[in-house]
Amino acid sequence: MASLSSEGEDWRAWVPLSSRPEFAAVTPLPQDDGPSPVVAIAYRDDFRETMDYFRSLYSSRELSPRSLLLTSLAISFNPANYTVWHFRRQVLEALDADLNDELEFTERVAKGNAKNYQLWHHRRWVAEKLGSDAACGELEFTGKIFCLDAKNYHAWSHRQWVLHALGVWENELDYCTQLLEEDIFNNSAWNQRYFVITKSPLLGGLKAMRDSEVDYAIEAIGTNPENESPWRYLRGLYNDENDGWLNDARVPCACLRVLKAKRNLKFALSTLLDLVCLGFKPNQEIRDAITSLRTSHSGEVGSDSDLAKSICSILGHEDPMRANYWTWRSGRLPQAAEV
Amino acid sequence: MSPFDSLSLKVHKDAVAGWVLSFQAHPRSKSDLGNGQFYGFHGSRSSQFPSKDNAIFIQNGSHLASTYCALAILKIVGYNLSNIDSASMLTSMRSLQQSDGSFMPIHIGAERDLRFLYCAAAICFMLNNWNGMDREKAKEYILNCQSYDGGFGLTPGSESHGGAAYCAIASLRLMGFIGDDCLSNASALSSKANIQSLLDWSLQRQVADGGIQGRPNKASDTCYAFWIGATMGTLGANKFIDERGLRSFLLTCQSEYGGFGKFPKELPDLYHSYYGLAAFSILGEAGLKPLCLELGLTEGAATGL
Repeated sequence: MASLSSEGEDWRAWVPLSSRPEFAAVTPLPQDDGPSPVVAIAYRDDFRETMDYFRSLYSSRELSPRSLLLTSLAISFNPANYTVWHFRRQVLEALDADLNDELEFTERVAKGNAKNYQLWHHRRWVAEKLGSDAACGELEFTGKIFCLDAKNYHAWSHRQWVLHALGVWENELDYCTQLLEEDIFNNSAWNQRYFVITKSPLLGGLKAMRDSEVDYAIEAIGTNPENESPWRYLRGLYNDENDGWLNDARVPCACLRVLKAKRNLKFALSTLLDLVCLGFKPNQEIRDAITSLRTSHSGEVGSDSDLAKSICSILGHEDPMRANYWTWRSGRLPQAAEV
Repeated sequence: MSPFDSLSLKVHKDAVAGWVLSFQAHPRSKSDLGNGQFYGFHGSRSSQFPSKDNAIFIQNGSHLASTYCALAILKIVGYNLSNIDSASMLTSMRSLQQSDGSFMPIHIGAERDLRFLYCAAAICFMLNNWNGMDREKAKEYILNCQSYDGGFGLTPGSESHGGAAYCAIASLRLMGFIGDDCLSNASALSSKANIQSLLDWSLQRQVADGGIQGRPNKASDTCYAFWIGATMGTLGANKFIDERGLRSFLLTCQSEYGGFGKFPKELPDLYHSYYGLAAFSILGEAGLKPLCLELGLTEGAATGL
């Protein structure tokens, strides 16, 4: 069936629907705003007419090719109208339409509306009907969106759904690596990486992946210690595994390298604080590094509770926007931070 | 003078209430209540159609988000919600809740995420009736939305996001799972929400220009001053935000035409204007009424006093 969508219309050449033969004998149904509408909208004539015709076909439940055309027009005027999208789905089913054409339609709508919820829900509906055959196309489609906006939240949600429901995990970790090579600060890509290493049936799960991922995160930290994403990722690798977190020597080592460089310190410091609060006993080199960062020169850092308090104090200077927070943390250090 | 009050100066409150009430979807009979449809409020006439008495196909486009808005507007204009037929609304709302605790916003199908769980919780709270949802299941879904970095995503596995954090914490607060003393007891939730890591994540959302970003390594945007500010406020942690920095950022987003835009020098829109003002209220700006953070209304409107 030929695609009947014609939403690429030139608005300057709008032909009223009342003049179009395909809509002959359709009685438009005006919107009933009631006697005293509040915040009444000044609809443009072509919008009003399109919606009047939509109301008519919708109310009489006509599931026909001209209804499909009308939904294309209505969507181009207001792609957020979920009632129109739903009716379109009913029409597509009744006509047993070629859903590959529909994928093309959604791609056209996505051009100006990549952050529209209804569009993405519709795309998911189409992909679900097409099944696993559609999987690669969905990865490709979201990939195109990411070329324009590598952090489009809807596209990432859709991609996660595709992986989970249609199972095409093979290249996903590599894809994350590629995106992070393009922009190591892309938090969406870091999140996707975590999703892949924990959920992919091909990789063995978090425990199996943890070791290499710790190295990966630490390398990113080394290049850009001011980048919050790899720090959070690193911590996340050991969620609910405090023993492992406390015993992975690479972590305090990475923190120390940052401290010695004396720049972009806040995440290294807060990571050390987190470790110390869980009972980690830092070596002398780390203690010395903390001492040399202390702004109040009251001698060496002694007990661990002094150490934790010192770190909080340094953070008050290194991360002054959150000075109140670091003071508060200093006042509620847990027992584990004591000698 | 509070901007939230200007409505009463210009528009007759009864007219607003009457107009809002005209969007309510009503079941034809009690037997309709088991048909899986949600009988709430429509958002506009564009999804509300004149019903024909003998029509087989009754178009019910009522939606959780418009229902939340309708009830909130009614509270703002001082309408007594006990006059509403809430029984049908709440009973039918249950069929929107999914097996994983999340909510679909409309029975014909749509995306499901934390936003609609928040709407459901706010609806039950405003009607003071929790028959509309299974709170335990909802809490479970919220906890599944907490990410490895301490923030919350809109769905399990999604990237942590300021708006999702608000939906999560405000919902937990509305449902009664978060007390006033949340900060002093970081495991105040008898379950697995890690409040400490949420706190740390949320506070790092305030960036060098004083504004607040929605996700790490993204630009600061007016509305997150509310989403994150209100999340912190609900937890008793807004004292940790750099208020001076935030205030000066917000002022750069104020338009010469009035209102607020998303970024400095952007044209204003209603959404960012509302959230900009709401953020100023949280910051204690003189002349603005205090907010009930978890409902997104002034305290006066929320309590009806």
